[in-house]
This record gives sequence, C-alpha cells and structure tokens, in this order.
Amino acid sequence: MIEIKNVTKKYGDKKAIDDVSFTVDDGDIFAFIGHNGAGKTTLIKSIVGIHDFDSGDIIIDGKSIKTDAVACKKIMAYVPDNPETYEHMKAIDYINFICDMYEVSKETREKNIIKYAKIFEMEDKLNDTIDSYSHGMKQKIVLISALAHDPKILIMDEPFVGLDPKAVFDIKEILNKMVKEKKIVFYSTHILDVAEKLCSRVAIIKNGKLIKSGSMKEIKGDKSLEKVFMELEDK
Amino acid sequence: MKKLYSLIKACMSSDMSLFKIKTNKKSKLSKIGLPLLFSFFLMFTIWVYANALFEQFTPFHLQFIVISLVVFFTSIMTIVEGIYKTSSLLYNCKDDQLLLSLPIKKRTILFVRILKFYLFELIYNSMFIIPLIIAYLRWADKIPEHFFLTSIIMILTLPIIPIAISCIIGGIISNISSRFKHKKITQTIVSIIFLVLVLYASYNLENIINYLVKNASSINDIITKLYYPAGIFASLAVKFNLTDLLIYIIVNIVVFTITIYLLNISYFKINSRLKSITTVKKVNNNKIVIRKNSINNSLIKKELSTFLETPVFIINAGFGLVLYLIAVIIITIKFDSLLKVLVDPNGLNIKKELILNNTSVMILLLVSVTSFMTSISNSLISLEGKNINILKSLPISPKRILDSKINTCLFITSPILLLGDIVLFIRFKIKILEAILLLLLSILIPLVSHLVGLIINLKYPKLDYENQAEVIKQSTSSFISVTIGMILCALSYYLVLKVIGKVQPLLILSVTTLVFIIIDLILYLYLNKVGIKEFKKLSI
Repeated sequence: MIEIKNVTKKYGDKKAIDDVSFTVDDGDIFAFIGHNGAGKTTLIKSIVGIHDFDSGDIIIDGKSIKTDAVACKKIMAYVPDNPETYEHMKAIDYINFICDMYEVSKETREKNIIKYAKIFEMEDKLNDTIDSYSHGMKQKIVLISALAHDPKILIMDEPFVGLDPKAVFDIKEILNKMVKEKKIVFYSTHILDVAEKLCSRVAIIKNGKLIKSGSMKEIKGDKSLEKVFMELEDK
Repeated sequence: MKKLYSLIKACMSSDMSLFKIKTNKKSKLSKIGLPLLFSFFLMFTIWVYANALFEQFTPFHLQFIVISLVVFFTSIMTIVEGIYKTSSLLYNCKDDQLLLSLPIKKRTILFVRILKFYLFELIYNSMFIIPLIIAYLRWADKIPEHFFLTSIIMILTLPIIPIAISCIIGGIISNISSRFKHKKITQTIVSIIFLVLVLYASYNLENIINYLVKNASSINDIITKLYYPAGIFASLAVKFNLTDLLIYIIVNIVVFTITIYLLNISYFKINSRLKSITTVKKVNNNKIVIRKNSINNSLIKKELSTFLETPVFIINAGFGLVLYLIAVIIITIKFDSLLKVLVDPNGLNIKKELILNNTSVMILLLVSVTSFMTSISNSLISLEGKNINILKSLPISPKRILDSKINTCLFITSPILLLGDIVLFIRFKIKILEAILLLLLSILIPLVSHLVGLIINLKYPKLDYENQAEVIKQSTSSFISVTIGMILCALSYYLVLKVIGKVQPLLILSVTTLVFIIIDLILYLYLNKVGIKEFKKLSI
C-alpha cells in the first residue's frame, strides 16, 4: 500500500506539489494524470526517493520513505520518463547491475531476465552496448531491469512513450498479471484511453494540487476519462 | 548577429549557473565565495613567485625575461590541457543533433564552441598573467606608455595561439580515433602520445632557456623566435610600439580565422564518423552471461566502467600516476646519475649523506606529490549526470554509494603507488618498519585527496553538461580540488624541507601516518554527515 499524506514540495517559492494526499491499495493499477508541469514527475520522484519533500510523508507498506528509504525502495521499481541508463554498458551488464542492487538471486534473475527479454524481443540484443539502442529499446531495457527483481510496487512515469505497439500490448499484459498477484502499479500518463481501459483507480493533478481521486468508475461516471479530464482542466 | 548572440548565450548558460543561484544571499555567498577564495589564493601564489623571480632579474634590468617565461609556461600548460579538452569540448557534444537541426551555419556552431573554449582559457590564463602584471608594476625600471592598454590586449589575446594549437592537435587525435572501431581506447592512447611528445619537447627547451638567460643581449629576439607572443609581450612591457602591437593583433586574428577554417573542413565529417561508430548496431551473438555480484563490487565495477569509458577522465587522472611510474623507473635505474646532479656543488649542492640517510622521506614526498596531483573523485558525482536519479532510486544508502566512489579511487591509485613503493624499497633497501609505514601512507595520503575531491564535488556538482571535459577540466569542483592539491603539494615540500636531516626518518613517517589517519577520519566523518545531506539534495 502507498499512502501519500499531505505532501508538499517547493522549488524556491513555487509549490510543485501542494498538500497532496491519497492512497493506492494492493492490487490497484493507478493512473496519475495531469497536464505538462502539473507536478506528476515531481510526486513520482518523491515516492521513489529521488526527491526530498518539504512536508507530509509517503508511506510504503507501512514504512516512511523519509526515515526508511532503503526498505521502501527494496520493494519498488521505478521506470523514468526518459530511459536513463549507463549507456556505455552492455544491456545485460546494466540489468545485472540493477539486480545486484536489489540482491536478486541468480536463479530469479536468470528466470526473469530471459522471460522479459523474450517478451520484449530483446534476447539477442542484450550483449550490445546501450548507446547503440533506439529510444524504445532503451525503454525496454529499463522495463526489463525494473521487472527482473519482481517488485511489489511498480512506479512508472510515462511508460508507453517510444514503445512499439507490440511492446505496449505486452506491458499491459504484464501489468494486468501483476495486479492479479495483488501488486501495485502506479503510473503517470497522457494516453487517457489506455488509462481508462487499464486502470482501476485514477488521480488528477493540476498546478500541484490534487483535484480528483477515486475509482475509475467514480471519476468518469458515464463520460470518457478524456472528457472528464478536459472539463476539470477548463475549470 | 542576433542569432549568434542567442547561440552564445544558450551555450554559456549552463556554465554560468553558479552565478544564478536563486537562493538566499548567504547560500549564494557560500557557493561563490569558495571558488573566489581559491582563485584569489592561486593568483596570490603566482604573484609571490613572480616577485621572487623579478627580485633575481631586476638588478640586471632583465625583468622582461620573467614576463616571457611566465607567458611561455602558461601557454604550454594551456596547450597540454587544451589537447585533451578539445576532443571532448569540440567533439561528441550532446547538443550536436539540436544545433545541426537549427537554421545555423555549421561554421557558426564551430565558432561558438571554440569561443566557449577560449573564454574558459581566458579565465585560466588571466589567473597567471594578472598577478604577473601587478608584480611587474612594482619591479619595472619604467612603466612604458599605454602599458595598461597593452596588458589588456595581451590578456585577451594570449590564449588564442595555444587554443589554435590544441584545436588542431585535438582535431588530428579525433580524426585518427574516429577511424578505429575502439575509438575511445584509441583516443586515450593517441592523446597520451601527443601529451608525452609536448612534454618531451618542452623538457628539451630547458637547455635553450638556460642559454637565453646567459646571453642577455640577444634574449628578446630569441624569445620572440621561440614563442612569438611571449617575446612581443616582453618587448611591449619595456617599450610601447604601436606597429608591433598591431602586427601582433593581426597575427592573432589570422591564426584564429585559419584555425576555424581548417577545423571546419573536416569537423562535421569527423563528428559524424565518431557518432556513427557508436550508433552502428553491433551483431553480438555471444551467450548472455547472468552473474551475481555483491552490492559493493557491483558499484565499484560500475564506477570503473565509467572511468575506462571516458578518455579525458583517464588522461586527467592517470597522467600523474604514469609520471609517478616513470619517476620510479628513472630513480631506480639512474639513481647514481641523479645523485651526482643533486650533490653537484655548482648545482643544488645537497649533501650526499642527507639524501642517502633519508630515502624513505624522499619516497614519502614522491607519494604525497603524486597523490595530491591525482584528482579523480572531484568529478565522480558530476559525471553521473542524469543517471544520478538511477542511483537515488535504488535500495542502497547514500553512504554506500559514496563509499563505493572512494573505494574506486583507491582501486585506481593504490596498486600503482604500492607497486612503485615496493620497487623503491628493494632499490634502496628500506627498513621493514619504514616500509610498512610507507605502504600505509600510500593509501592514507591519496585517501585525503579522494575524500576532499568527493566532498567538493558534492558541494559543487555539475550534473547538466554538454560533454565530460566540462566536468573534468572546467568545473568549479575540479578547479577547487586541483588548487587544494597544489597547496598540499607545496605544503608537503615545505614540511619535508623543514624536517629532513633534523628528525629521524622513522619518526617523520610515524608522525605523518598518525596525522593522516586523523585527517582521513575527520574527512570521512564530514563526508558521512554533510556529504550525505548534499547527496540527498542532488537533483536534475
């Protein structure tokens, strides 16, 4: 479970996140939507421990990211909006590096790396250096390394950008499977129709403030998510 | 023109970020205060040295020799530094694709990059030339007319010729390496060969310089022939001559224009070849190797791979260590010849017994100088760039990350220093207790350098950069670390001179060990307290 409790984050005098609170339960696929610069990435970076925040707290499975960051990060995986990797490394070395950090056993990593490399059609490319990859291939490597350690919580920032249609389909399948296993998927997106079909819960953020949060049904009612979003944005 | 101005502004904006900190005055002062303090210190040191040289030459009315010597050596340093900066500053820039897609002439892009290089070298050169001019004002027999105008023009133009030479050599290195499959390894090797050649050439100039000092009547003419800007500056500092000054200005403009013209011929071809090699899809059907490492080993492996993949980093960090090894080899093989030079009554006139009875202290000095001049850690945080977010999102504590960076630095420096130690121990039959202390000091002394570098880099990170040379050679962090290294070198030399022959070598080594254990402990505690806080604040 992720509990966001009155989190505020300032850049200078500007509040990037303003007193945001909501919870994400086990088994949720949670869509986090908002316009560019609304504060989505800032909140995601705060959840995964990249950014400190000024007030409030973020609780991951009962532990605070402020006071017990390593324990919180241990059960999470983070996929950034840009596929940031050590580009001079071979893909397999990068994935091994991430697995080492999560202390993944040899058996688990052997099983998962091969499994996800096959799904994303990357198995014959893992011995290449990442700097020879396209944007989408880099994104796939980040996804493989995030999934290789069987995270309980998967946090993603715009995960579908740059992926080919098959990879988008595959990742949706993987997310659905994770949810069935009572894991949490929390991601930000601009692709509202995918979010509408895929997610059980949604939160909408505008200028750093949470303006709507709840189950997908509650939020959109009979309308499409896109329409609801546009109405809220226009207010 | 407006387009050019916008381009220059955009390219310089990230480098000037230090002066645009939008926090309170106190924080801004502490960020800018330290670099300013160190700049002042460096300039003060140059001023002291210049005064000492002027004092020797003034009785013979040869002050202009000091001017030409300082100009000459500043230019040599600019060339040496510039050679390995060029391959990163001009080639492999991150903003290549963006700039090439804009409606700007290719030559303008090249001009702006060289201009940026020039502006940094101008700051660097000024730190040597301004104190020289101030000292000259005190010692000159007579200040010629328009001296201030001449000085300003000289300060502005002195970096041009060294930069032109660096750009051409850097262009040749990049051209050669772009034709190889393993371009980074080739670049490192070719750069080192060029640097050794430049150093060898400047080492051989010593005889000529000695000749110049002894033959004062024709000095100015010879200096001008040896290095034109040095001779002109020396000449104009004695007597103003408008024609000479105008010719000199024209020469610089011509050199700058020719350099841009020459580089422009193949610059974009080389750049695209360098990029095409890295982006060529490699068919690699080797079996996938999945192996497990401990967190610490994996972190060190990652740091080492970054180090080995960055030619400018290897050259910058490894050059001191290579010189150390060369020094060890020369001392081991040619000690008798060296001893003759050191004890020569017409030369340094050092007592033979003093040297032979204090070889362990000499080794200590060699290790100290190498350690303080080998600055690796001052760019390890900055080089993470946007990848800092990967590290911060991983389930490892900041302490572990910082420890891994220090361990990597020790992993690079210790084997070379320890190997050199052992060779020298065997050559000079060092006593066992002294040998143990020296081995310990070969870890403790570089550790100070690594801790200081990392602490400074955490205080002055530069995560958003166009190329690695900006971080390794031109950042605030590297400037402060190198200055501290130079101060510590001078301090080590001074302290050794003070105690050698007066205190037993074993006592010197024991006290030094104790002092360095304390310094290392203090720095490590500081890193764990303040450094971790700074690490948590890192953001891009």
